[in-house]
Amino acid sequence: MDYSILRKSREGPARRRVNLVQLDMPEVFKAEKTREESEEIKKLLRESFTGTAFGSCVPRPSKFRFESQQDDETVLLLGRRHFVTNLGWIAAICFAFVIPFFWGEFPFLKALDGNTLVSLTMLWYLGILLFGLQSFLMWFYNVYIITDERLIDVDFMGLLNKTVNVAQLARVEDVNYTQSGFLASMFNYGNVIVQTASEQKTPDSFKGGSAFTFEAVAYPDKVTSMISQLTEEVEKTWR
Amino acid sequence: MEIIPGVVISFSMVVGLMVKISMVLILVLSLIMIRQESLMDRVVNLPVGKSLKYIVWAFFGLTLLTTVIVVLA
Repeated sequence: MDYSILRKSREGPARRRVNLVQLDMPEVFKAEKTREESEEIKKLLRESFTGTAFGSCVPRPSKFRFESQQDDETVLLLGRRHFVTNLGWIAAICFAFVIPFFWGEFPFLKALDGNTLVSLTMLWYLGILLFGLQSFLMWFYNVYIITDERLIDVDFMGLLNKTVNVAQLARVEDVNYTQSGFLASMFNYGNVIVQTASEQKTPDSFKGGSAFTFEAVAYPDKVTSMISQLTEEVEKTWR
Repeated sequence: MEIIPGVVISFSMVVGLMVKISMVLILVLSLIMIRQESLMDRVVNLPVGKSLKYIVWAFFGLTLLTTVIVVLA
Protein backbone atom coordinates (compact mmCIF):
# COMPACT_ATOMS: atom_id res chain seq x y z
CA MET A 1 0.00 0.00 0.00
CA ASP A 2 1.25 3.46 -0.84
CA TYR A 3 1.25 5.30 2.52
CA SER A 4 2.38 8.58 0.96
CA ILE A 5 -1.25 9.06 -0.06
CA LEU A 6 -2.27 8.91 3.61
CA ARG A 7 0.19 11.69 4.46
CA LYS A 8 -1.26 13.86 1.71
CA SER A 9 -4.74 13.34 3.10
CA ARG A 10 -4.00 15.89 5.82
CA GLU A 11 -4.32 18.56 3.17
CA GLY A 12 -8.07 18.78 3.43
CA PRO A 13 -11.39 16.99 3.22
CA ALA A 14 -11.68 17.21 -0.54
CA ARG A 15 -8.25 15.65 -1.01
CA ARG A 16 -9.05 13.04 1.68
CA ARG A 17 -12.14 11.96 -0.25
CA VAL A 18 -10.08 11.38 -3.34
CA ASN A 19 -7.46 9.49 -1.40
CA LEU A 20 -9.98 7.10 0.11
CA VAL A 21 -10.98 6.16 -3.38
CA GLN A 22 -7.36 5.73 -4.39
CA LEU A 23 -6.77 3.48 -1.38
CA ASP A 24 -9.60 1.25 -2.58
CA MET A 25 -11.56 1.53 0.66
CA PRO A 26 -14.76 -0.44 1.18
CA GLU A 27 -17.94 1.03 -0.31
CA VAL A 28 -19.16 2.27 3.08
CA PHE A 29 -16.43 4.92 3.16
CA LYS A 30 -16.66 5.87 -0.47
CA ALA A 31 -20.39 6.38 -0.55
CA GLU A 32 -20.84 10.13 -0.65
CA LYS A 33 -24.35 10.08 -1.87
CA THR A 34 -26.55 7.13 -1.15
CA ARG A 35 -29.73 9.10 -0.49
CA GLU A 36 -32.40 8.79 -3.12
CA GLU A 37 -35.07 11.39 -3.58
CA SER A 38 -38.14 10.42 -1.60
CA GLU A 39 -41.66 10.19 -2.96
CA GLU A 40 -42.74 13.17 -0.82
CA ILE A 41 -40.13 15.43 -2.39
CA LYS A 42 -41.00 14.25 -5.88
CA LYS A 43 -44.68 14.88 -5.18
CA LEU A 44 -43.98 18.35 -3.77
CA LEU A 45 -41.89 19.32 -6.77
CA ARG A 46 -44.39 17.89 -9.23
CA GLU A 47 -47.54 19.39 -7.80
CA SER A 48 -46.63 22.51 -5.87
CA PHE A 49 -44.37 24.57 -8.05
CA THR A 50 -44.85 25.67 -11.60
CA GLY A 51 -42.74 28.23 -13.32
CA THR A 52 -40.45 29.37 -16.09
CA ALA A 53 -36.93 30.78 -15.93
CA PHE A 54 -38.41 34.18 -15.07
CA GLY A 55 -40.74 32.68 -12.48
CA SER A 56 -40.38 33.04 -8.75
CA CYS A 57 -40.14 29.30 -8.14
CA VAL A 58 -38.51 26.99 -10.67
CA PRO A 59 -38.46 23.29 -9.79
CA ARG A 60 -35.49 21.35 -11.21
CA PRO A 61 -34.25 24.20 -13.45
CA SER A 62 -32.76 22.90 -16.67
CA LYS A 63 -29.29 23.95 -17.87
CA PHE A 64 -28.70 25.69 -14.57
CA ARG A 65 -25.49 25.66 -12.59
CA PHE A 66 -24.19 27.70 -9.70
CA GLU A 67 -20.76 28.51 -8.38
CA SER A 68 -19.43 25.73 -6.11
CA GLN A 69 -21.99 23.19 -7.30
CA GLN A 70 -20.66 19.67 -6.96
CA ASP A 71 -20.96 17.19 -9.79
CA ASP A 72 -23.26 14.87 -7.86
CA GLU A 73 -25.42 17.66 -6.46
CA THR A 74 -28.93 18.08 -7.83
CA VAL A 75 -30.74 21.40 -7.75
CA LEU A 76 -34.28 20.77 -6.58
CA LEU A 77 -35.62 24.30 -6.46
CA LEU A 78 -34.51 27.70 -7.65
CA GLY A 79 -36.43 30.65 -6.30
CA ARG A 80 -36.37 34.41 -6.12
CA ARG A 81 -38.60 37.17 -4.82
CA HIS A 82 -42.17 37.09 -6.05
CA PHE A 83 -42.66 39.10 -9.25
CA VAL A 84 -45.26 41.27 -7.52
CA THR A 85 -42.49 42.78 -5.36
CA ASN A 86 -41.24 44.51 -8.52
CA LEU A 87 -44.41 46.56 -8.90
CA GLY A 88 -42.93 49.44 -6.89
CA TRP A 89 -40.04 50.19 -9.22
CA ILE A 90 -42.11 49.41 -12.34
CA ALA A 91 -44.71 51.99 -11.23
CA ALA A 92 -41.93 54.50 -10.46
CA ILE A 93 -40.51 54.02 -13.98
CA CYS A 94 -43.93 54.44 -15.60
CA PHE A 95 -44.42 57.67 -13.66
CA ALA A 96 -40.94 58.96 -14.50
CA PHE A 97 -41.44 58.09 -18.19
CA VAL A 98 -44.22 60.67 -18.65
CA ILE A 99 -42.57 63.51 -16.71
CA PRO A 100 -40.62 64.90 -19.75
CA PHE A 101 -43.95 65.43 -21.52
CA PHE A 102 -44.62 68.10 -18.89
CA TRP A 103 -41.22 69.84 -18.99
CA GLY A 104 -43.03 73.03 -20.01
CA GLU A 105 -44.89 73.16 -16.70
CA PHE A 106 -41.64 73.65 -14.74
CA PRO A 107 -40.73 77.37 -14.75
CA PHE A 108 -36.96 76.92 -14.39
CA LEU A 109 -36.87 74.53 -17.36
CA LYS A 110 -38.56 77.15 -19.54
CA ALA A 111 -35.37 79.22 -19.20
CA LEU A 112 -33.27 76.48 -20.86
CA ASP A 113 -32.42 76.58 -24.53
CA GLY A 114 -33.55 73.83 -26.91
CA ASN A 115 -30.23 71.93 -27.03
CA THR A 116 -29.89 71.71 -23.26
CA LEU A 117 -33.49 70.59 -22.90
CA VAL A 118 -32.96 67.78 -25.42
CA SER A 119 -29.77 66.71 -23.57
CA LEU A 120 -31.62 66.77 -20.26
CA THR A 121 -34.39 64.59 -21.72
CA MET A 122 -31.83 62.10 -23.05
CA LEU A 123 -30.17 61.97 -19.64
CA TRP A 124 -33.54 61.47 -17.94
CA TYR A 125 -34.43 58.47 -20.11
CA LEU A 126 -30.96 56.95 -19.79
CA GLY A 127 -31.29 57.27 -16.00
CA ILE A 128 -34.67 55.53 -16.11
CA LEU A 129 -33.20 52.73 -18.24
CA LEU A 130 -30.24 52.31 -15.88
CA PHE A 131 -32.49 52.19 -12.84
CA GLY A 132 -34.87 49.69 -14.47
CA LEU A 133 -32.09 47.44 -15.70
CA GLN A 134 -30.33 47.46 -12.35
CA SER A 135 -33.54 46.74 -10.43
CA PHE A 136 -34.32 43.87 -12.78
CA LEU A 137 -30.83 42.36 -12.44
CA MET A 138 -31.07 42.61 -8.64
CA TRP A 139 -34.38 40.79 -8.70
CA PHE A 140 -33.28 38.20 -11.22
CA TYR A 141 -29.97 37.22 -9.66
CA ASN A 142 -30.93 37.42 -5.95
CA VAL A 143 -31.88 33.79 -5.69
CA TYR A 144 -32.13 30.99 -3.21
CA ILE A 145 -31.24 27.47 -4.24
CA ILE A 146 -32.34 24.25 -2.58
CA THR A 147 -30.28 21.23 -3.55
CA ASP A 148 -30.42 17.69 -2.21
CA GLU A 149 -27.44 18.52 0.04
CA ARG A 150 -27.64 22.17 1.08
CA LEU A 151 -29.33 25.53 0.97
CA ILE A 152 -27.74 28.48 -0.79
CA ASP A 153 -28.84 32.08 -0.44
CA VAL A 154 -27.29 34.46 -2.98
CA ASP A 155 -27.73 38.15 -2.20
CA PHE A 156 -26.42 40.97 -4.34
CA MET A 157 -26.69 44.38 -2.77
CA GLY A 158 -26.19 47.24 -5.18
CA LEU A 159 -23.75 46.84 -8.01
CA LEU A 160 -20.69 46.10 -5.94
CA ASN A 161 -21.62 43.86 -2.97
CA LYS A 162 -22.58 40.22 -2.81
CA THR A 163 -23.20 37.74 0.01
CA VAL A 164 -23.50 34.00 -0.53
CA ASN A 165 -24.72 31.95 2.44
CA VAL A 166 -24.44 28.17 2.33
CA ALA A 167 -25.84 25.72 4.89
CA GLN A 168 -25.75 21.94 4.83
CA LEU A 169 -29.21 20.43 5.27
CA ALA A 170 -27.86 18.46 8.24
CA ARG A 171 -27.23 21.75 10.08
CA VAL A 172 -30.74 23.11 9.64
CA GLU A 173 -32.59 23.27 12.95
CA ASP A 174 -35.86 25.10 12.38
CA VAL A 175 -37.75 26.38 9.39
CA ASN A 176 -40.65 28.77 9.61
CA TYR A 177 -42.32 31.37 7.47
CA THR A 178 -44.17 34.64 7.86
CA GLN A 179 -46.70 36.30 5.61
CA SER A 180 -47.73 39.85 6.29
CA GLY A 181 -49.50 42.48 4.28
CA PHE A 182 -52.29 42.61 1.77
CA LEU A 183 -50.21 41.82 -1.32
CA ALA A 184 -48.44 38.92 0.42
CA SER A 185 -51.77 37.34 1.30
CA MET A 186 -53.26 38.01 -2.11
CA PHE A 187 -50.35 36.61 -4.12
CA ASN A 188 -49.22 34.02 -1.58
CA TYR A 189 -45.66 35.04 -0.84
CA GLY A 190 -43.72 35.52 2.37
CA ASN A 191 -40.39 35.21 4.17
CA VAL A 192 -38.97 31.77 4.87
CA ILE A 193 -36.62 31.85 7.85
CA VAL A 194 -34.16 29.01 8.28
CA GLN A 195 -32.33 28.64 11.59
CA THR A 196 -29.06 26.80 11.37
CA ALA A 197 -26.93 25.19 14.08
CA SER A 198 -24.27 27.85 13.69
CA GLU A 199 -26.10 31.13 13.57
CA GLN A 200 -24.45 33.44 11.09
CA LYS A 201 -24.56 37.19 11.15
CA THR A 202 -24.01 38.59 7.70
CA PRO A 203 -24.78 42.03 6.26
CA ASP A 204 -27.93 40.67 4.66
CA SER A 205 -29.27 39.13 7.90
CA PHE A 206 -32.97 39.87 7.94
CA LYS A 207 -33.74 42.40 10.70
CA GLY A 208 -30.80 41.14 12.73
CA GLY A 209 -32.10 37.55 12.51
CA SER A 210 -31.00 34.54 10.51
CA ALA A 211 -28.71 34.94 7.52
CA PHE A 212 -30.93 32.37 5.85
CA THR A 213 -34.01 34.40 5.22
CA PHE A 214 -35.50 33.86 1.82
CA GLU A 215 -37.44 37.07 1.39
CA ALA A 216 -40.80 37.36 -0.36
CA VAL A 217 -40.68 33.87 -1.84
CA ALA A 218 -43.66 32.41 -3.64
CA TYR A 219 -45.41 29.49 -1.92
CA PRO A 220 -43.61 29.95 1.41
CA ASP A 221 -45.65 27.14 2.98
CA LYS A 222 -44.51 24.65 0.36
CA VAL A 223 -40.90 25.82 0.44
CA THR A 224 -40.95 25.40 4.24
CA SER A 225 -42.39 21.91 4.08
CA MET A 226 -39.89 20.95 1.41
CA ILE A 227 -36.91 22.10 3.49
CA SER A 228 -38.36 20.32 6.56
CA GLN A 229 -38.81 17.13 4.56
CA LEU A 230 -35.28 17.27 3.19
CA THR A 231 -33.87 17.92 6.67
CA GLU A 232 -35.80 14.96 8.08
CA GLU A 233 -34.48 12.70 5.38
CA VAL A 234 -30.91 13.81 6.00
CA GLU A 235 -31.36 13.13 9.73
CA LYS A 236 -32.70 9.67 8.98
CA THR A 237 -29.66 8.95 6.82
CA TRP A 238 -27.32 10.06 9.60
CA ARG A 239 -28.97 7.82 12.21
CA MET B 1 -23.66 86.72 -15.54
CA GLU B 2 -20.15 87.85 -16.58
CA ILE B 3 -17.73 86.43 -13.95
CA ILE B 4 -14.89 86.00 -16.45
CA PRO B 5 -14.59 89.05 -18.70
CA GLY B 6 -16.02 88.30 -22.11
CA VAL B 7 -17.67 85.04 -21.02
CA VAL B 8 -21.34 85.10 -20.15
CA ILE B 9 -22.36 82.18 -17.93
CA SER B 10 -26.01 81.44 -18.49
CA PHE B 11 -28.37 79.08 -16.67
CA SER B 12 -28.47 76.87 -19.77
CA MET B 13 -24.67 76.58 -19.77
CA VAL B 14 -24.57 75.45 -16.13
CA VAL B 15 -27.36 72.89 -16.64
CA GLY B 16 -25.69 71.72 -19.88
CA LEU B 17 -22.40 71.12 -18.06
CA MET B 18 -24.17 69.20 -15.30
CA VAL B 19 -25.98 67.07 -17.89
CA LYS B 20 -22.66 66.25 -19.59
CA ILE B 21 -21.07 65.23 -16.27
CA SER B 22 -24.11 63.09 -15.41
CA MET B 23 -23.92 61.42 -18.82
CA VAL B 24 -20.29 60.43 -18.21
CA LEU B 25 -21.29 59.14 -14.76
CA ILE B 26 -24.04 56.97 -16.27
CA LEU B 27 -21.52 55.68 -18.81
CA VAL B 28 -19.20 54.62 -15.96
CA LEU B 29 -22.14 53.02 -14.12
CA SER B 30 -23.11 51.07 -17.21
CA LEU B 31 -19.55 49.76 -17.44
CA ILE B 32 -19.76 48.68 -13.79
CA MET B 33 -23.08 47.01 -14.58
CA ILE B 34 -21.50 44.99 -17.38
CA ARG B 35 -18.84 43.72 -14.98
CA GLN B 36 -21.38 43.02 -12.26
CA GLU B 37 -23.68 41.15 -14.64
CA SER B 38 -20.86 38.85 -15.72
CA LEU B 39 -19.98 38.21 -12.05
CA MET B 40 -23.63 37.48 -11.26
CA ASP B 41 -23.81 35.15 -14.22
CA ARG B 42 -20.76 33.30 -12.93
CA VAL B 43 -22.32 32.81 -9.48
CA VAL B 44 -25.76 31.88 -10.79
CA ASN B 45 -25.46 30.49 -14.29
CA LEU B 46 -28.91 30.64 -15.87
CA PRO B 47 -29.66 29.97 -19.55
CA VAL B 48 -31.08 33.49 -20.01
CA GLY B 49 -27.87 34.98 -18.64
CA LYS B 50 -26.44 35.34 -22.13
CA SER B 51 -29.43 37.35 -23.35
CA LEU B 52 -29.11 39.62 -20.32
CA LYS B 53 -25.45 40.12 -21.17
CA TYR B 54 -26.46 41.34 -24.64
CA ILE B 55 -29.04 43.70 -23.12
CA VAL B 56 -26.48 45.18 -20.74
CA TRP B 57 -23.96 45.62 -23.57
CA ALA B 58 -26.67 47.22 -25.71
CA PHE B 59 -27.36 49.66 -22.91
CA PHE B 60 -23.67 50.49 -22.69
CA GLY B 61 -23.59 51.07 -26.47
CA LEU B 62 -26.62 53.34 -26.29
CA THR B 63 -25.15 55.29 -23.37
CA LEU B 64 -21.82 55.66 -25.17
CA LEU B 65 -23.50 56.93 -28.32
CA THR B 66 -25.72 59.37 -26.42
CA THR B 67 -22.82 60.62 -24.29
CA VAL B 68 -20.68 61.26 -27.37
CA ILE B 69 -23.54 63.14 -29.06
CA VAL B 70 -24.31 65.26 -25.98
CA VAL B 71 -20.70 66.00 -25.05
CA LEU B 72 -19.71 66.97 -28.60
CA ALA B 73 -22.88 68.97 -29.27
